[in-house]
Amino acid sequence: MRILILALTLLFLVACTLAPPGGKGFRAGPADAAAAVPPPPGTSRAVLTLIAQARDAIEAGDALTAAARLERALRIEPRNPVLWHYMARLRLAQDKPQQAAGLAARANSLAGDDRRLQAANWRLIAEARDRLGDPAGARRAEAEAERLEAGR
Amino acid sequence: MAKKKSARRKPVTPRRRRQRSAKQRASRRPVSRRWGPRWRTVLIALLVSALAWTGWLDYRIRSEFEGKRWALPATVYGRPLELYAGQRLSPDQLRAELERLDYRLDQALDAPGSFHVRRGRFRLHKRAFRFPDGPGPARRLEIVFDGGRIGQVRDLDSGATVDLVRLEPPRIGGIYPAHREDRILIRLEQAPRELREGIIAVEDRRFRSHFGINPRAIARALWANLRAGATVQGGSTLTQQLVKNFFLSNRRSLWRKANEAVMAILLEWHYGKDEILEAYLNEIYLGQDGDRAIHGFGLASRFYFDREVGELTLPQIATLIALVRGPSWYDPRRHPERLLERRNLVLRILAEQGVVAPARARAAARTGLGIRRGRLTGGRWPAYLDLVRRQLRRDYRQADLTSEGLRIFTAFDPLVQAAAERALTTRLRALDRARGLGGKLQGAVVVTDTRTGEVLAVVGDRDPRYPGFNRALDAVRPIGSLIKPAIYLTALRRADYSLSTAIDDGPIRIQGPDGRVWSPRNYDGRSHGTVPLFRALIHSYNQATVRLGMTLGFEAIADTLERLGATRKVPAYPSMLLGAVGFTPYEMAAMYQTLAAGGFRTPLRAIRAVTTADGEPLGRYPLEVEQTLEAAPVAALVSVLREVTRSGTARWLRERLPGLDVAGKTGTTDDLRDSWFAGFSGDRLAVVWLGRDDNGPIRLSGSRGALRVWGDLFAALPTTGLLPPATDAVEYHWVDAETGLLADAGCPGAVELAYVRGTAPAERADCATGRAPAGDGGGPFDWLKRLFR
Repeated sequence: MRILILALTLLFLVACTLAPPGGKGFRAGPADAAAAVPPPPGTSRAVLTLIAQARDAIEAGDALTAAARLERALRIEPRNPVLWHYMARLRLAQDKPQQAAGLAARANSLAGDDRRLQAANWRLIAEARDRLGDPAGARRAEAEAERLEAGR
Repeated sequence: MAKKKSARRKPVTPRRRRQRSAKQRASRRPVSRRWGPRWRTVLIALLVSALAWTGWLDYRIRSEFEGKRWALPATVYGRPLELYAGQRLSPDQLRAELERLDYRLDQALDAPGSFHVRRGRFRLHKRAFRFPDGPGPARRLEIVFDGGRIGQVRDLDSGATVDLVRLEPPRIGGIYPAHREDRILIRLEQAPRELREGIIAVEDRRFRSHFGINPRAIARALWANLRAGATVQGGSTLTQQLVKNFFLSNRRSLWRKANEAVMAILLEWHYGKDEILEAYLNEIYLGQDGDRAIHGFGLASRFYFDREVGELTLPQIATLIALVRGPSWYDPRRHPERLLERRNLVLRILAEQGVVAPARARAAARTGLGIRRGRLTGGRWPAYLDLVRRQLRRDYRQADLTSEGLRIFTAFDPLVQAAAERALTTRLRALDRARGLGGKLQGAVVVTDTRTGEVLAVVGDRDPRYPGFNRALDAVRPIGSLIKPAIYLTALRRADYSLSTAIDDGPIRIQGPDGRVWSPRNYDGRSHGTVPLFRALIHSYNQATVRLGMTLGFEAIADTLERLGATRKVPAYPSMLLGAVGFTPYEMAAMYQTLAAGGFRTPLRAIRAVTTADGEPLGRYPLEVEQTLEAAPVAALVSVLREVTRSGTARWLRERLPGLDVAGKTGTTDDLRDSWFAGFSGDRLAVVWLGRDDNGPIRLSGSRGALRVWGDLFAALPTTGLLPPATDAVEYHWVDAETGLLADAGCPGAVELAYVRGTAPAERADCATGRAPAGDGGGPFDWLKRLFR
C-alpha cells in the first residue's frame, strides 16, 4: 500500500507541479509544460486557499486528501473549469483514466473560449484514452489539442 | 478410587488385614485422616465446580463487556457549513446552524460552542473538529454580513481576515445494531472532569484503589441495613454497579450479589480502571422515556438538557450524578424537589472531596434544575440515514458499521432538509383535506446538488420523522409524463429532428400483438392537430408523444434512458411512452440530474468520506463524471423544460418563483393516482412524488399536487436560476409557440429556445419584423410543406 502511494505521488509530482495560489496552476507535465493552467482571474480567495492545500496534500503523497480539498473547492465554485481540470489531472495520477477523461470533458464544457485550458484538457483526454487502450481516440484528442494550440 | 476399593475390601480379608495392619501401624495416621480422601474428593469437586462457575461468569462478563466496549456505532455527519467571503448565507441561516450545533449565547465566548450577535455581526467560538481532510482547530471568529452574503470572516484573536473556515458538521445520527438504538456513546476524555471525578466521589471513593469490591463499604452498608431492618445503604462499587447494569435485574438475592461481586473482581482483573469507568458512563441507567430506557451520560445529557455531554455545566453534571441513585425516585418531572435536594447534596460532596471549589458548588446549588428535554437522536432524519446506510452496506460489513465507531461524512444539508420537510408536510395536509383523502395522501422528496450529484435531503413519508417505508427510495411508481423528456431527447439527438419539427397530435390507435387496441388520449381530451415538437412537450400532449415515440422506436428511447442513468430495464410496449413504467423518486432524481448537468452523468451520492474513529481515512466516495449525452440536444431539451415552467403545465411556478429561472416536468398517471414533478434550478434539483400507498386515486395531477410542493420548496431554498448551457453548439431563437416559426421577443406567445446549431427554423412567423436571425440560421425547415402533406 505504502509503495503504491509512493509510486502515485512520484507519478503525480513528475506529471505536474502546483504553484501557490495566485501564481500558476497545475502544470500539465514535461510534455507540455508550456501549457501550465493557472486559476482564472475571478477565482475567490477561498478557492485559491483550497488549491494551495490540495497541492500540500499532493506533496505529502496524499491523493485522497488532495481530491477532497479540490471537491471542497468545486462545491464553492462549481463552474470554475480549472478545478475540474485539476481534478481530472489528479484522477489520471491516481490511474483512473476513465474518470480523468470524464472530468476533463466537464472542464472543457465550462472552459468557454479559454483555448489554453481546452488544449490542456484534450491532452489529458489523449493520455487517458491511450491508457484505456484507445490509440486512435488518443490521436484524435491530440490533434484537437494541437489545433487549439495552433489557433492561439 | 483404588483406595476406596481397598477400604471396602478390608473386612473380608482378615488374613491380609493382619498382614497389612503391621504396615498400617507403622504409618498410622489420625482418625480424621481416614476420612480425608472423601473430603478431599468433595473439596476437589467443589473447587472444580467453583472454578467452572467462575470461568462461566468470566466468560459472560467478558463477552458482555467486550460487546459494549467495542460497540461504538458509526456516527453520521451532515455537511459542514463553509464560511467565506461571498458565501450566500443569511444571518438567520447562520443562527439556525449554530443552534442546530448547540452553540450557546455567551457574550464572553470563553468556551468553544458559544456565540453572540451584536449589530448584525456574529461572533463565535467554534469548536475543534477533525475532518477527513485535516483538523479544524477551535477558533474565535467574527462574521460580517453584506446583503444576503458573508462580507468578511475575521479571526478575533489575530485580527486577520480568514479566507475559508468551516463549522463542525452537524451530527445527524448513528448506525446502531437494531437493539441498541438508544445510545450516544462517549469516550472517557469527552466527559467533563467534574463528571469523571464527581461520579467517583459520590458513588465509589475508593474506585481507583479497590479490586472490584470494597469489603469495608459492604460491611458498613450491612451494618446500616441491619440496624434499619431494611436496605438503606448500598455498598456497591462502580464496578459492581456496572455488572448489575449489564444484566439488568433488580432482584436482590444473596446469590446474585455474590455473582456480581465475583464478576466485578473478574472485570477488574481483565480491564483497566479507565476502561471500566468509560463503560460505566455509557451503561448506567439514568431514566425512562416512555418504553425507551435512557442509558449512559451521553444520551442522558441530550435527554435532560439537550446538549452534548462535553458542554454540561456544573449543576447539570451534579443533577445527572444525583440521578444515578434512582432515576425513578428522583424523576425530575414528578419529584423535582427530591432531585434538587439530592443534587445539592452531590454538590456538597464534590466540594468536600475537592472536586470543585466550595464557592463554585455553592453558586451551582443556587440554580434551578433547568431541565430542557432534548430530542433523542436516531429519529430525526430517518429517510436520509436510510440512504446512507444502504450506500455504506455496499462497502462495509454491518458489524463494522455498528461497532467500530466509524465516522461517516455526508452531504446532508439540514437547511435544505428542513425546507423539503416543511414544503411536503404543509402542502400534503392541505391537499389531503381538500381532496378528502382521509390522511392517506403520501409523498416523497429527493433534493440534489446539480453540479456534484450530492444528495442534500430526502423525505420518505408525510411524517418525516417516521422511520418506516421510505418512499423516496422504495416506492416504485409509474412515472407518467416524467418519461417524456427522454423521448424528445431521443428525437433531438437525431439529425432529422429539431425543436420545430412538426408532429401530429391527432388521435392515435395502436394495435397490440394480442389484437387489443390502445388509443391514448390527451389530458385535456382534445387533439391539437400538427404542432411543433417543443409545443407537444411544453403542454405534455400524449397523442403527439406516442406517435413520436413509435417513430423513434423503443430501443432508441431505452438507450437514451440508460444514458440518463436509468438502472431498470424499460419494457418495450407502447404504454411505456406515457410512463407506464415504474421508478422511484430517487431514480428519477438520478436521471434528471444528467439533464441538469448538461449531459454529464454523475451517480448520486450521499457519502463523501468514511474515517475510523481516530480520523484515519478509510474510503472516499469520489465525484464521478461521465459524458453520456451530447451537450447540444440536452441544452435544447432543457430550454423547452424551462418553457414548461413559464407557459406550460408548470406555469404556476412563474407566479410562485418570480424571477427564478427553473426547468422541469410534471407527471400524472392514469386515474390521477400519481402526481410527480421533477425540476431543477442552476444548482438544485428536486423530485417530488405524491400518491397513496394503496395506489388509489388521489385526484391530483402533477401540476395540482407535486408541483406545488416543489414550488414551495424552491421558494424557501437559497438557489440560483438556470445558467446558460456550457456549450456553444446551440443558438437561441425566439419562435412562435403555435407554429414554431422564427419570431421576435415582442411577438405575442413567442418563446425563446435553444436550437442545436444549424437546426433553427428559417421561416418567419407573421409578426416577426424581418430582423436577421441571431445565429447562423437554421437548416432547411419545411413547416408549411409538412403542414399540408
